[in-house]
Amino acid sequence: MSIQEQYRKRAAELLASGEVKIIIGYGAGSTPDRRRALFIRSADDASLLHVDAACDANLSGYLVSEGLLSDRKKVGIFLRPEGIRSVNILAAESQLDPLQIVIIGFNVENGSLAALQGSGVNDFSSLISTLKESRSTPEEQALIEKIEGMTPEERFAFWQAEFSKCIKCYACRQVCPMCYCKRCIVDNNQPQWVHTSSHTLGNFEWNLVRAFHLSGRCVECGGCDRACPVNIPLRLINRRMAQEVLDAFDHFSGMSHTQEPVLASFKKDDPETFIL
Amino acid sequence: MTKILLRDRLDDCISRWHAAGLDVIGPVSKNNISQFDTIQKAGELDFGIILPDRTLKDLFFPQTEPMFRYRIGKQQIDTEEYLPPGRQRIVFGARPCDVSAMAIDDPLFGWDYKDTYWFKRRTETVIVTIACTSADEFCMCTSLKLAPDSPQGSDILLRPLEGNRGWLVEELTERGRDAFSLIEGLLENATGDPLPLAVVPVKFDLDACREWLQNPENFESHFWKEISMRCIGCGTCTFLCPTCHCFDFQDEGDTYTGIRRKNWDSCSFALFTMHTSGHNPRSTQSARWRQRIMHKFNYFPGKFSLNSCSGCGRCTRECPVDMGITETLQEITKLSK
Ligand code: SF4
Ligand code: SF4
Ligand code: SF4
Ligand code: SF4
Repeated sequence: MSIQEQYRKRAAELLASGEVKIIIGYGAGSTPDRRRALFIRSADDASLLHVDAACDANLSGYLVSEGLLSDRKKVGIFLRPEGIRSVNILAAESQLDPLQIVIIGFNVENGSLAALQGSGVNDFSSLISTLKESRSTPEEQALIEKIEGMTPEERFAFWQAEFSKCIKCYACRQVCPMCYCKRCIVDNNQPQWVHTSSHTLGNFEWNLVRAFHLSGRCVECGGCDRACPVNIPLRLINRRMAQEVLDAFDHFSGMSHTQEPVLASFKKDDPETFIL
Repeated sequence: MTKILLRDRLDDCISRWHAAGLDVIGPVSKNNISQFDTIQKAGELDFGIILPDRTLKDLFFPQTEPMFRYRIGKQQIDTEEYLPPGRQRIVFGARPCDVSAMAIDDPLFGWDYKDTYWFKRRTETVIVTIACTSADEFCMCTSLKLAPDSPQGSDILLRPLEGNRGWLVEELTERGRDAFSLIEGLLENATGDPLPLAVVPVKFDLDACREWLQNPENFESHFWKEISMRCIGCGTCTFLCPTCHCFDFQDEGDTYTGIRRKNWDSCSFALFTMHTSGHNPRSTQSARWRQRIMHKFNYFPGKFSLNSCSGCGRCTRECPVDMGITETLQEITKLSK
């Protein structure tokens, strides 16, 4: 039986037995190579589910949709390892109870699909530890090194050219499982901390605020980067900030549902290299 | 005898237009995005793309625009008004859907209040449209009763000739004729066979959809919740829609001095209809998605006898969660049968 068949069967069983009230998975999209989020409540519909290498969205953000978990019933969800890490962070930040989440895990390695064993977040701890030790080198490594090698002026010019494209559609924020704030700081106007206008300055402010707020929380699922309609390489920012918290605090986001948030906790032996 | 504009004369045309004081603008692919940009040479234009990522509305209704500077003094308030720069422009190589969208928005911006910014730019701009000879799977002008060679909003319509050598010229307006009189002598008096137009299948039944939307019983239909469950409420489909026209005013500065700006806004945002009291009449994403569809295909046609959509397909092409109005109208077509 293919992984897709196994997973459809598992989803159908979970729904039929009443263990979960809904399955959040992937269905066919508007073109043959697109997949989209699919919400299934009946075992009969499990045949609509797809699992393959095209299933790249991190669906964990839907878990914190208003009201979904408030009845304490369980929800099944298809997740890649990054998505499982997102669930850990959401749990660590008190946004959900991990016991309510039944994970149907899968991974895509070198373009091919692999099933992941387990269903609760703790079942994946050793997998996540392995990921920390073997952080994959992104294809963009050359570009990252190029940017690192730039003078501050050149680097500023690079990001200025990118951020001048931003239209403040906030797709990067809306698609991100970690951006669950009921009212984002950019939507506050009393006082207005950040320019709402989408001029280059306002775009810089927005993207910097987001980079800082996601540091140590981003799992590099790539959702924001794929969502950005004007193709700003947001993955480069995420990668840089993830490396930063890893180097400074040995923090790999989403290791467990009890992991302390790195920028919202304090340890006596924290390095203070950045405090002047 | 018809007129032909040969591709290898385009640089000469551009020089003539420049000499007459016109800015020349066209589709340019740069820095991983395609959009309308000012050009110096024909070589900068990207004729290979079907439709630029960003829309033609950027040229008439920019994402952010300063309106005036204010200073509140003890006795009086001083203001200094900003207007668009006032350059005469020619847009070369827009597509019929994008250009139709400008014609769709004209009555909106001129209805109870004539929008100075919009109409100043509209009257300063000549639009040269190129009919489409290829389309992608998201294009759907025909579903909106438009076509790959719709003339609405265009001053000149060009039909591509075999072998990429140039275009058949159709002069549609006085403004278009004036701009093309500047390149008199560079055009050939000849005829040629235009390439066949793109084949764009009709994807839904627009009239059936309108009828369904007009039925008050369907306003509270469960359909709205089902269809919009995966919508994340971003601004992609509105900001990249050539007809979406909602805006917001923002004062940038402090209490006494600052700049008032006009910024794009989106009915997909939760904040869009949020009242000061905290009450939000469109408190769910499904209510917001319903508004988007109702506005485009029910309220707008009710007021202006036009659909607020020209079928460019960007809302589906670019949606991060693969939604878009095409799917919704296809589902409504099924429901209405
Ligand atoms: S910031 Fe981007 S890459 Fe990181 S978790 Fe959010 S969506 Fe994923
Ligand atoms: S998704 Fe891209 S364009 Fe939209 S707000 Fe984010 S960075 Fe800007
Ligand atoms: S339909 Fe897509 S593009 Fe439009 S608001 Fe929803 S998620 Fe964003
Ligand atoms: S609603 Fe969609 S298809 Fe219609 S004009 Fe807007 S972006 Fe294009």
